[in-house]
Amino acid sequence: MSRLFEHFGAEGKGYAQPSPMLPATELDLPSNMVRKQLPRWPRLSEPEMVRHYTWLSKRNFGIDTGFYPLGSCTMKHNPRVNEVVAQLPGIADIHPHQPEHQLQGLLSIYYEMQDMLAICAGMDAVTLQPVAGAQGEFTAVRCFQEYFRHRGEHHRTKVIVPDSAHGTNPASAAMAGFEIIEIPSQEDGRIDLSALRAVVGDDTAAMMITNPNTLGLFEQDIAEASSIVHEVGGLMYYDGANFNAILGRTSPGLMGFDAVHYNLHKTFSQPHGGGGPGSGPIGVKEHLAPFLPSPIVARRAPTDDEKKQCVDDHWYTWHTPEHTIGKVQQWHGNAGAVLRCWAYYRRYGKELRTMSEHAVLNANYLRHAIHREAKAAGVDHLFVDGADTIVAKHEFTLSLGPAKESLGISAMDVAKGLLDMGYMAPTVYFPLVVPECMMIEPTETESKETLDTFARDFCKVLQLDAETLHNAPTTTPVRRVDEVYAARNLCLRHPFDDD
Amino acid sequence: MVDQLPNLGREEEMLKEMGVASIDALFADVPESVRMVGDLPLPDAQSEEELLADAKRLLGANLALGDQPSFLGAGLYRNFVPSCVFQLVTRGEFLTSYTPYQPEVSQGMLQAMWEFQSLISELIAMPITNLSLYDGSTAAAEALTCAVRVHTRKAEQKDTVYISELTPPDRVSVIHNYCQGAGIKVETLRHDENGCINLDDVERARGSCAVYVEQPNPLGIIDGGYPSLKEIIGDKTALIVGVQPVSLGLLEAPGNYGADIVIGEGQPLGSPITGGGPVYGIFGCTQPYLRLMPGRIVGRSIDVDGKEAYCLTLSTREQHIRRHRATSNICTNETLIALMGAMHMSLLGPEGLEQLAVRNMAACTQLKRQLAGVEGVTLPYDGQSHFNEFVVELPASTSACLAYLEANGVVGGFDVSNWYAEKTNQMLVTVTDQTSQRDLDRLVDCLRAWAQEVSA
Repeated sequence: MSRLFEHFGAEGKGYAQPSPMLPATELDLPSNMVRKQLPRWPRLSEPEMVRHYTWLSKRNFGIDTGFYPLGSCTMKHNPRVNEVVAQLPGIADIHPHQPEHQLQGLLSIYYEMQDMLAICAGMDAVTLQPVAGAQGEFTAVRCFQEYFRHRGEHHRTKVIVPDSAHGTNPASAAMAGFEIIEIPSQEDGRIDLSALRAVVGDDTAAMMITNPNTLGLFEQDIAEASSIVHEVGGLMYYDGANFNAILGRTSPGLMGFDAVHYNLHKTFSQPHGGGGPGSGPIGVKEHLAPFLPSPIVARRAPTDDEKKQCVDDHWYTWHTPEHTIGKVQQWHGNAGAVLRCWAYYRRYGKELRTMSEHAVLNANYLRHAIHREAKAAGVDHLFVDGADTIVAKHEFTLSLGPAKESLGISAMDVAKGLLDMGYMAPTVYFPLVVPECMMIEPTETESKETLDTFARDFCKVLQLDAETLHNAPTTTPVRRVDEVYAARNLCLRHPFDDD
Repeated sequence: MVDQLPNLGREEEMLKEMGVASIDALFADVPESVRMVGDLPLPDAQSEEELLADAKRLLGANLALGDQPSFLGAGLYRNFVPSCVFQLVTRGEFLTSYTPYQPEVSQGMLQAMWEFQSLISELIAMPITNLSLYDGSTAAAEALTCAVRVHTRKAEQKDTVYISELTPPDRVSVIHNYCQGAGIKVETLRHDENGCINLDDVERARGSCAVYVEQPNPLGIIDGGYPSLKEIIGDKTALIVGVQPVSLGLLEAPGNYGADIVIGEGQPLGSPITGGGPVYGIFGCTQPYLRLMPGRIVGRSIDVDGKEAYCLTLSTREQHIRRHRATSNICTNETLIALMGAMHMSLLGPEGLEQLAVRNMAACTQLKRQLAGVEGVTLPYDGQSHFNEFVVELPASTSACLAYLEANGVVGGFDVSNWYAEKTNQMLVTVTDQTSQRDLDRLVDCLRAWAQEVSA
């Protein structure tokens, strides 16, 4: 083990800095504000620090380490040039309060991103302010709320979500003050139009839904669902978590949605960073545009003075919509993440559609390969498709229900067995409508060979006996972690002897 | 030509093996009525070289603060991030990993985040810390809604919180957006002429759910009145203090003067300003807030062999389990930036932090001294101690001053009229550990020359 708090360098040694302009004795602090004891931090020299974090990194699995088929998370390759771009001084060393004429490069990139995102989703206006998908959801439902208040429709207090929705949908709508109506999905996991018809009414503010849905199925009745909600005066919200499946093939705008969030850290390859940062811009149709939060970039013809500082034929300015809901983050959103995603999109340009086609190709191929290998290995009786469909979109589900029933092998056991084979495990137990669910999303950046090998290894895991799998993993830095122990014996920071 | 797809050119082979006729057939389930026809109206794909050239040209058109003496802060502070932080944080195992849902293969990030919690807990003197929120503003907003969840049932002033009237408007806007859904009333607390909080006015907040103040406050003032706050508002009202984390190398940790929740903009520790994001929000609290707090938490545990191991804990507060009853909707957070913070803190050590704080405050003190000798420029809060920044009152409009400074190669401070419209002649001047004596001299010379010019 390498533990940060077990480095005991001598006091005052270590990382060197320039001398202060004045000695500490000349600084005037209110006497009751003087810190009495410095934080009990460890003392590491650079060589120790580098080795500690390198050691930690080796105990972590990323896309760079191996195949990462985590359903719903779109773990595609993160091009490295994007990291180079994000560290250029023209982004790393700029301040959001600098005047527009000092930031024309950034503003032009924001404009290009707004434009591109609007085109891809069939929306009219985009804000890059929200810094995560969930914050995008929250921002959009706040815009809905102000839109209805503006129209005097204060009675619209209910938001409808399918039971298979991501947890953030109901959480975001509830945070904005809406009441949540959950409707059951049909047996095949698709939206139940009669259940929707039964709950819509005068009090409906919106429906939040993702398409393809969390089973990886395209909701073919989506236009009908939109009509049902629109007919009673409600709005349709598109959760963009699964946008990677459809880009250039269809769009939320065509499906009848009024608003959408984009997970730039999924579709546009901002690295997930072990949990963040992300970026969750939202796009809306014209009628909702006046309510968006800034920053939004507008452009016009430059004046003669401005021409000297132009990056192209336009002059870019920050714009605050007339009835804006205000801010949801203090600055201009996650500018660094927007930059990385701009760099990513530029590598595809109008061929973004190919990206989605390959995401869907790979998912369907992997689904086919798993069934093929399972037949060959004689383990095809241990799982079934999570949904009855000819084609899946960017991800698909399997139910390990039969393995559980016949051998006592759960989806979690198989997941842990895959860890031992050197893979990240797929998402398990989501969506809840599929028993012993395993949700697999290979993304477009995996080769046919990787998919074939994974399919074979998946079947090898299924050939292991139950006891071996209950004990898996055994080759990882630690074995199964006791989450109940963690919750019952809370230890959330380094314990000191003198505490 | 796109170069990011391993199976380009192998589509036929794969389709054939699957028995699918074409790529189009894979999209047959998309009804014709909603199909997109034609190409996306976007430019051609670029190679890495072409992209990089465009990125350099466009970003090169931005004025990077390091290119000139600069005095812009107001919530974000230029700092020096040690080289090994970038080297280590871009290791693919950290950079390209997801939220650690499979702890067996995520021990690196989990342990690093547990250590981050430990470092921040020590820094702010709070027993509990989460592993980051989006930024300082959402941390403030989430702290207020958390305090309401904990206190409102027994509060005399139900669903009511008080925030300092100095809180910057953009931050207040975030607070309003987060608070309105829960029907929370946001009242403000007055300040005295000297820029410190009016302790008599704080009496009004007794019986409410929370009081929110910042130290140093948005005018850069170190307010010596804060140690009295907890006694005034009592145990049933949460004291929430927002901090600039580097200042805590010199200033008392809020946990040691009665704070119940401490939040902050983490950026000065570990992260460049990056146009305002990604940065990271610090959130720490005491025991009574634990089960109703937002965000992810890492706990130390054991594996089946009894070996030390780490995992996410207390997840039942979160959206993926509790759905609409979750304490927050947050899912993706700012883990990687928090990791940069942890790395920076590890390298600094306690005395390194202290020295960093001294450097920041020394530069600020030095500039105050130098400006005291400039005719026409006054310091309205001169009697107070300042960290990082202070307000100067100018002989003419701040916008005119900023234009003059820019013409002379200096990025001036923040125009206070952006916060308070009537303060047209005030500029918030910020210095950090990255400000040199030469930068200070340049600013002082420019201000002197400009003040003479406008008074002539």
